[in-house]
Amino acid sequence: MASTNTKAVAETQEKKFDWHQIKSLLPIISFVAIVAIFAILTRGALITPRNITLIISGGFTLMIATVGVYMIMSMGCLDFSQGSMMGLSCAVVCFLSQYNPILAIVGGMATGALIGLINAIFHVKGQVQSFVVTMCMMFLLRGVIAYITTASPVYAASYLTALATNTPLLIGIVVAVLVIAYLVLHFTALGSNLKAIGASETGARFAGINVQRTKIIIYVVAGAITGFAALINAIRIGSVTSQAGNMLETQILIALVLGGMPINGGARSRFSSVVTGVLSYLVLQRGLVMLGFTTEIQQLILGIVFVIMVAVFSERAANQVIK
Amino acid sequence: MSDKLLLHAEKIDKKFGPTHAVKEVSLDFYAGEIHALIGENGSGKSTFTNMLTGILPIGSGTFTLDGEQIAPKNQVDGNHHGVAVIVQELGTLNGLTVAENLFLGDEGRFMKHGIKNTAAMNKKAQELLDGFGLEKVRATAPIENYNFEERKIIEILKSTWFDPKILVVDETTTALSQDGRDKLFEVMRDVRAKGHCVIFISHDMAEVLSMSDRISILRDGDFITTINASDVDEDKLKTLMVGREMGDNYYRTDYPNYATEPQGEIAIMMQNVSVPGSLNDVSLELHKGEILGIGGLSECGMHEVGKAMFGASYDRTGTVQLGDGTPIDSINTAISNSIAYASKDRDNESLLINDTIQDNITLPSMRDMGFILKQKDLKAFAKKYADIMSTKMVGVDQYVSALSGGNKQKVVLARWLGKQSDILLLDSPTRGIDIGVKADIYQLLAEMRNQDKAILIISEEIMELIGMCDRILVMKDGKINGQLFRSPELTEQDIIAKMI
Ligand SMILES: Nc1ncnc2c1ncn2[C@@H]1O[C@H](COP(=O)(O)OP(=O)(O)O)[C@@H](O)[C@H]1O
Ligand SMILES: [Mg+2]
Repeated sequence: MASTNTKAVAETQEKKFDWHQIKSLLPIISFVAIVAIFAILTRGALITPRNITLIISGGFTLMIATVGVYMIMSMGCLDFSQGSMMGLSCAVVCFLSQYNPILAIVGGMATGALIGLINAIFHVKGQVQSFVVTMCMMFLLRGVIAYITTASPVYAASYLTALATNTPLLIGIVVAVLVIAYLVLHFTALGSNLKAIGASETGARFAGINVQRTKIIIYVVAGAITGFAALINAIRIGSVTSQAGNMLETQILIALVLGGMPINGGARSRFSSVVTGVLSYLVLQRGLVMLGFTTEIQQLILGIVFVIMVAVFSERAANQVIK
Repeated sequence: MSDKLLLHAEKIDKKFGPTHAVKEVSLDFYAGEIHALIGENGSGKSTFTNMLTGILPIGSGTFTLDGEQIAPKNQVDGNHHGVAVIVQELGTLNGLTVAENLFLGDEGRFMKHGIKNTAAMNKKAQELLDGFGLEKVRATAPIENYNFEERKIIEILKSTWFDPKILVVDETTTALSQDGRDKLFEVMRDVRAKGHCVIFISHDMAEVLSMSDRISILRDGDFITTINASDVDEDKLKTLMVGREMGDNYYRTDYPNYATEPQGEIAIMMQNVSVPGSLNDVSLELHKGEILGIGGLSECGMHEVGKAMFGASYDRTGTVQLGDGTPIDSINTAISNSIAYASKDRDNESLLINDTIQDNITLPSMRDMGFILKQKDLKAFAKKYADIMSTKMVGVDQYVSALSGGNKQKVVLARWLGKQSDILLLDSPTRGIDIGVKADIYQLLAEMRNQDKAILIISEEIMELIGMCDRILVMKDGKINGQLFRSPELTEQDIIAKMI
């Protein structure tokens, strides 16, 4: 049968077009298309240096938080508590920053990690679907945030907010997070394990992957990452109101889907979705604002784009449900 | 069989990217015949019939049924044209009731003014079930209340109640116990008696010879020949399928003298293991350099033995330990202690079918390859073991879902070969696999036995147990009911006697 093998290999090289290959380029193509369309519609105003800086600096927290959710989604799970988690972690960061910067960083990350842990325990041990658990968590945390901000917003210490204009530092931090995550996911077994869980939980279990433990760890890590994003948020915004982190979970989801992430995760998940997706989302959103659309119309358009991308990237053949 | 031509296939052809799965096959099917379609795994049998039944679009060529050209758009459309299929995998959907499954895609039948008459549908479904001898099955119950075998039987009903002119049975028998097979055969004979035609795909040559009138052979997508079942025997068929003489070394031919030959050390043992609903206080030992077989009826609990030893059973009591006393309590400890497991449920448990061949082969071995992994090394590793198993694939990036049953099993074995496992627990290792690959697997197992590995084969195929094992344990009702040693005198009857 060795001859059939060599024949098959030769045939692969002949083969040029593959739908999945085109699909994997689609996020880049759509990013370029989005930039081009809005650059034209805004008569170039979109791509002025000032505006580009504005777009990028508006996306630091989104970019960081998306890294954690990418890991969750590649396992075929979801997390709708991200926004509220960000809000609460941010309140903790602001509060603790009055005492000590290190304490603030650790406290923010610990808050996110703890919330992630609780989500994971209910999902893994309680066998409740992840979107149900995290949705409940969202309502609960929104209540907590409203409570602690009733009297007045929580303010960050001034040494934090002083960093808000230090764009190179912030970009450096974001890039560092991306690079570390990429290296870990690509050069250790973790990335493959997550995708394997997304492809088939049972299959992954029988291949020796500790599915429960992996899920718990990832929810905790993703929580910590969002807690870290809360630090950047505190630096940029300086205070926490009851609206802090609102809609972040939706933004992350739309961004990942724009970046070509299959909605049920699995083997076709690519880390590049985080970067292309978030950038596409930021440009799209900024472009719509510049064109003067009302918030309602913006949401409508984002919704339509979202549905189209989900349809394109969902693996219908895989016939899976979100866990 | 009458002389009336029922279905004519004219130059049916299909390509999947670089794979030419079916090559201009022309075939005639007559009214009132059971027509077997045989060939090695990947020879294109399913692809051919899937085009007929609407599961796959036709590449090129035509099907003419009763003088009318047909090209069904999907399975339900196929049913309306009078073609039906029973597939190898589970074809029913969880979350729906039995009745909903029976009429899936065909609910229009019970629609009036846009409203579905569920009561009428349930009533009709129950009538059909009762008429089929399935009085125990409730039309309104969720399908997941029933086990694999029962669901398979419900599927048979689903595909046949409307009297199709052509019934395709694609490797269904491997999933069924003897009772289920008998039921299926009865249905097939019924279809023939009505003057219709059954296209019967099976790897069980004895079954093919006893059931069919004529047999057509495919090899690598090519049509080879059609012959009368009465003119051939098993050996002739095997030769036609693989295109070469199979020889005698299909099974092991050695017969060690167990009275004088020392038994190897214990590799792994189970002590007083029970699993609710399947195992009842089972103890057994598997030695190095031994192939131990476990046989029994489908529901005797034998399939749980492999899971229990692999640390994969829920609610297991009792102990499983290696010869040196290391306890095996989880899949993780099993794998770290060089234990491999291939499940009967190949698509869900042995493999991640929506993942690449590379990932499937490398996943358990990653832990041995150091903390930092390079894609290049992983790829080379996967390719090496896939090639050792001569897996027929486009490349290791290919998704396992696109492989045929035999090649999927090769990927499973490649995974554990790569892991250098010393203890192999193989449940139904050759289920639904053609002769060529079967022979490869048997040879591999015999070699591994000589390398002092410990091998457990759980199988519903008695001949395989007799042919390959040093020792056979027969199970009944969750307990071990007898032990037989390898010998040229051992017969199927000896084993069956202990099964029932
Ligand atoms: N959906 C598919 N995509 C790509 N290749 C396929 C697909 N289905 C089958 N094949 C390939 O076509 C060939 C014939 O497969 P199949 O008809 O399933 O064989 P058989 O049923 O005789 O075992 C095999 O090489 C198989 O890998
Ligand atoms: Mg097949």
